[in-house]
Amino acid sequence: MLRFVGRRLWEGTLTLAALVTLTFFVMRLAPGGPFSKNRKISPEVLEHIKAAFHLDEPVWQQFARYVWGLLHFDFGPSTRFRDYSVGDLIASGLPYSLTIGFWAIVVAAMVGVALGIAGALRRNTPTDYVAGILGVVGIAVPIFVIGPLFQVVFALKLNWLPVGGSDQGWRSLVMPVLVLSLPNIAYISRLTRGSMIETMRENYVRTARAKGIGARRTLMKHTLKGALLPVIAYLGPSTAGIITGSILIETVFAVPGIGRHFVDAALNRDYPLVMGITLLYGALLIVFNILTDLVRGWLDPRARGNG
Amino acid sequence: MKMQPWTILALSLALGLAAPAFADDTLDRGVGSEWSSLDPQVNFDAAAGWIQSDAYEGLVTYDGTGKVIPGAAEKWDITPDGLTYTFHLRAGLKWSNGDPLVGQDFVNGVYRTLNPDTASEKGYYFYSVIQVKGAKEISDGTSKDIATLGVTAPDPQTVVMQLLAPAPNMLELMGAFQVAPLHSPSFDKYGAAVFIDPAHVVSNGAYIIQEVVPQSHVLLARNPNYWDAANVKIPFVRYLVTEDVSTELKRYQAGEIDITYDIPLNQIEALKKSIPEEVKISPSTEVIYYSFNLTHEALKNIDLRRALSLAIDRETLEGKIVKGEAIPDYSYAGGFDADYKGPQIAEATMTQAAREALAKDLYAKAGYGPDNPLKLNIVSTVSEDATRRAQGVALMWKKVLGVVAVNEPMERKAWLDAFYAGGWDVFSDDLVGDFAGPETFLSYQRPSAEPGYNWVKPEYDAAMDVAAKIADLPARYEALAKAEKILLDDYIFAPISIVPNRHLVKPTVHGWAASAAGYNNSQFLTLD
Repeated sequence: MLRFVGRRLWEGTLTLAALVTLTFFVMRLAPGGPFSKNRKISPEVLEHIKAAFHLDEPVWQQFARYVWGLLHFDFGPSTRFRDYSVGDLIASGLPYSLTIGFWAIVVAAMVGVALGIAGALRRNTPTDYVAGILGVVGIAVPIFVIGPLFQVVFALKLNWLPVGGSDQGWRSLVMPVLVLSLPNIAYISRLTRGSMIETMRENYVRTARAKGIGARRTLMKHTLKGALLPVIAYLGPSTAGIITGSILIETVFAVPGIGRHFVDAALNRDYPLVMGITLLYGALLIVFNILTDLVRGWLDPRARGNG
Repeated sequence: MKMQPWTILALSLALGLAAPAFADDTLDRGVGSEWSSLDPQVNFDAAAGWIQSDAYEGLVTYDGTGKVIPGAAEKWDITPDGLTYTFHLRAGLKWSNGDPLVGQDFVNGVYRTLNPDTASEKGYYFYSVIQVKGAKEISDGTSKDIATLGVTAPDPQTVVMQLLAPAPNMLELMGAFQVAPLHSPSFDKYGAAVFIDPAHVVSNGAYIIQEVVPQSHVLLARNPNYWDAANVKIPFVRYLVTEDVSTELKRYQAGEIDITYDIPLNQIEALKKSIPEEVKISPSTEVIYYSFNLTHEALKNIDLRRALSLAIDRETLEGKIVKGEAIPDYSYAGGFDADYKGPQIAEATMTQAAREALAKDLYAKAGYGPDNPLKLNIVSTVSEDATRRAQGVALMWKKVLGVVAVNEPMERKAWLDAFYAGGWDVFSDDLVGDFAGPETFLSYQRPSAEPGYNWVKPEYDAAMDVAAKIADLPARYEALAKAEKILLDDYIFAPISIVPNRHLVKPTVHGWAASAAGYNNSQFLTLD
């Protein structure tokens, strides 16, 4: 177990190192730099500014400096937001993204699994159809349509919730969480339904029923445990994605999370900020994949051996 | 168990029905996407400039309409040669923490802007837009001595600025956002981090910074130590970040924002019908022009460049295609200051039919026709109005002349570099003036060889040199107009339009006025 985690962490570190290297150099291939302006800045002044951010050094030296900083947990200064370091920006934005992501995952998992089970147990009944339609709608209608629609209904027409921002506590969270969870509810309910139906046909479930265990107990203790495996496999990587903030959600609902920084930083050629967020995203993805494997191993004895 | 999330949700919604009333002691202003810096000596962008203008006051400031009025200085004297400005500070000025505000604080502010260690891009205000004695040497690092700077404080109540060349528009540049004083004790102790630290920041404007949340908002509160605090009516001002203009509009409609940063292009018409009094559209100091690449063989022909300019129907382009309320423009530096009577290109007074007839004539004369069409690319940014405009122009060139033009949209940073890389035939160009006058536009083109247009015109440089020596504004404007005529006559670009400031302002906000330079300090507004 420990050896498994240790090995996966080591592999993860190597992956991150490759990610850092690749991102660092590929990013600099894009035309334009952080200080491109349509202003006549005197060349001396521009040199001073570049020197302040070490952009005057050869690229390999910049890379060495960056890696050295990383080893000391220093992500460098942001070139776009001059008042902040990349660490500050992530520290300020991550709690918003984490809160929304966490609740979105909780809502998506609970509603999705519930809908999936309902669909599987009452197959080809109206319950199943409604759950199915909800699923298709959730997957098919994009966030940039649902989001503004929710804003018009819940904020402008009903006046229940704020349109955006983050200054009204839980009221500011409701719409972003709901909209972010919708497509995931859809995926999870479809996954659960399919996998439930499959599991219900398994021999061990039939054996359990034959041994006289009640329908409810069979469902909770035997069927569900097996049926959730693919859902867990899906949740791992998608949790990383959801937590690092959906860029669209944060833009549409004016949430001050880190997802928005990603696009903005790339457009503004804020190299250190792009690096910082890429690294964070990569690390989260790796950690959640490891966690997923651990949970799967606990749920399914067959998955344990190959660790 | 499986009902639980829905139960929570239903409960939440039910509780939420009682929406809290919005406090009306706070003015909520949109600032678009994030402000880039709250450091008064570093910040360069207009949105952050609003926050700075509320928090810091320069020697002079702007009233609601963009007119220069006394700020920290109550009066000033200008020598007849226009080279020395002596500002007399108001008596008893204080910083927000109660420290006395003295002339040296303004000197320190200018010095820090120029100091290479600050890595500020806006030092060019002091060595290029106006030429302060010694500014260039400090900015390029040849001098480290503050005594070599032509900004001095002979006594605590006086600031003297010495210029190398007269600059009758200098006061326009001295508004709060460009020239804030520096509170050295707090800066020396905490460094540049002090400017975003509500616990330690010290300012001298009508408001003080109370809360800063990146990507979310900046909250300002009235500064009790401001000299005119009794006349500052709104207790709190919150600047809210909303990157998406459609979301900003909804926040405005829901009452979360009182003054928006912009208006979505596709909503302007509807809003002008439904809430006409709240739609505030007025010219800004940004001009859009299409530059022609003079290194390309075909475009070296001035008749061809003129034909391309003539073929653009600017009224239709801005009014029916872009629909962003930009004002069709036939000059480069005119249209901002009513006192400047600059020249216009001949198209200004022609009918569109006459323009097109002449365009076709010139196009044919240049040797192009249906069998041999001119092929061009138009490099623009990816913004909605820029691409609509480029496609509109391409369409007009196709229709009138048969030119095959394609729009190549690029994201902003790539677009900026593309200009110097030169891979364009036509460049969708724009320039924002530092104030509402012709000067910044015309000096941007001087010396003619420098800005990258590959246009070498000693006559233009000579005409600009003449203007630069004149201290009297009307006479200087006359000389500048002569220089602009030389510029326009060569058709190195086709002027297209003047970009507007677009805001929605709630009827509960009073005192809002159109200001070309975009200054609408909160201290001059009131809120019902």
